[in-house]
Amino acid sequence: MKTKPAVVYVVDDDSGVRSSIRMLLKSIGITATALASAREFLDAFDPEQPGCLVLDIRMPGMSGIELQQQLNLKGAILPVIFITGHGDVPMAVEAMQHGAFDFLQKPFRDQDLIDRIQKALARDRETRSSLHQHSQIRERLESLTPREKDVLKLLTEGKQNKVMAGDLGLSQRTVEIHRAHVMEKMGASSVAQLVRMVLDVKES
Amino acid sequence: MPSNQFLAVMDAAVDAVVLIDHQGLIQAFNRAAERLFGWSAAEVQGRNVSVLMPEPDRSAHDQHLARYHSTGIPHIIGVGRELEAQRRDGHRFPIHLSVGRVDGAEPPQFVGFVRDITVQIETRRTNERLMNVSRMATMGEMAAGIAHELNQPLTAIANYARAGDRFLASPVPDLDETREALREIAAEALRAGSIIRRLRQLVRGGEDKRELVTVTELMEDLRPLAMADAKANDTRLRFELDPHTPRLLVHRVQITQALLNLLRNALESLHGEAAGTREIEIRCRKTQTGDCEIAISDNGPGVAAEILDRMFDPFRTTKPEGTGLGLPMSQTIAQAHGGTVQYQPAAPRGACFTLTLPPAESPHED
Repeated sequence: MKTKPAVVYVVDDDSGVRSSIRMLLKSIGITATALASAREFLDAFDPEQPGCLVLDIRMPGMSGIELQQQLNLKGAILPVIFITGHGDVPMAVEAMQHGAFDFLQKPFRDQDLIDRIQKALARDRETRSSLHQHSQIRERLESLTPREKDVLKLLTEGKQNKVMAGDLGLSQRTVEIHRAHVMEKMGASSVAQLVRMVLDVKES
Repeated sequence: MPSNQFLAVMDAAVDAVVLIDHQGLIQAFNRAAERLFGWSAAEVQGRNVSVLMPEPDRSAHDQHLARYHSTGIPHIIGVGRELEAQRRDGHRFPIHLSVGRVDGAEPPQFVGFVRDITVQIETRRTNERLMNVSRMATMGEMAAGIAHELNQPLTAIANYARAGDRFLASPVPDLDETREALREIAAEALRAGSIIRRLRQLVRGGEDKRELVTVTELMEDLRPLAMADAKANDTRLRFELDPHTPRLLVHRVQITQALLNLLRNALESLHGEAAGTREIEIRCRKTQTGDCEIAISDNGPGVAAEILDRMFDPFRTTKPEGTGLGLPMSQTIAQAHGGTVQYQPAAPRGACFTLTLPPAESPHED
């Protein structure tokens, strides 16, 4: 599985705040891209780029909250950490309700920001890897023949070969061959793993 | 004794009129005076006028008269004055008194015109109270704006300092990065200092100290607060200055307050508009008559027709948390400077409030 290196985006209209966050992250070996407006970020946005977004909640033009809404509409999975000023708590609550990863009030302790960024990056990795697995499982499901799909369905319902053969009007031997193909194509080593895969895809 | 014709004229007067002789004894007392003081003309006829005064004026009045007779130097004659008077029932009330010497009468006679100014004094007190209330509200808002502004450099300073610390702590300390961090810390600290300096300039300015300022200087006072407010409301703010606007003799803090009140109204009127479309323009220009005009216009819904005629009244507010003091406050400040605040709809939509102030110098000199 190939993955691009993660990037921390810092979007704040205040150049002092944004440059200082970038330098802070550089001092612990994290590369950050600093942008001055929500618009600049949207223009550069790549859904495939892993990382996280550190976002000022109040900005002239498009605010942080509005950018978050735009990203939600695009189905973006990038975790967003909001930076808020004093007295912006109601806005921060709204941001959290709309799926923000976390928020921090200015001025904040550097370690708090670093911890949250690292957690956000970990979350992004997990989300992307499970999404990747899901898309692999879907591809494998697509590769099954109609008959194999029938067998898969009965298999995940916990039916025995004999019962499946009866249900499908096939010989028990034929069912066994289909079953072996299903397990092989899905890359499953046990029925339990197969059931897990199918459930994961259904849930997402 | 005064003539009948004179008495008739006195009775027709709206103000209380009291005629006294050189000893201070009442010679005539008109109808308005009867109503005002609660005495009938017959009752006070020939009594000392000091009966209409509270202490300490009551005891001192004979001496005042005697001094005038011996020195010929008037103290109150010919000059209007605000004093206290006393009704028959002992109730004291504020009056405006003007006294004239009756021409040709010898020994001299004096006529006093008395106007009850209870209402004016109360209005004045209410206005002062309004000024104080609104001043406190505005100071609180200013403090919030300044706090927000100061937070930015403070956040940056903390980040740079921590970054520098980490660059130094690494096995091979990165001195270039550390130096860069230190430089940025210094720059941000200066930025914080300039924010505080602007605040102090704003708060200073004394009680009623008027100073000669250019409109550009006023706008510099307003700008940091205005920008912070506009940012907090996701509103685009544009300043348009005119170098030809006249200099003004004003109380700097008050004018800034008046403008901030108008600006806040504009910001709040835009809350219903989509973010990203909210715009306010602050435009300064010199009028044809040489006055200075500062217009604050927004692209919001404008002022509803049904409140147009009472929007300058105190405690009339359309906002759930409004005090109803913003506009009347701005109007009071403008009037105290010989100016006005006026409203007209903006084109193509929105509201435009204009603060007009007279120039400090004559419009001819430049």
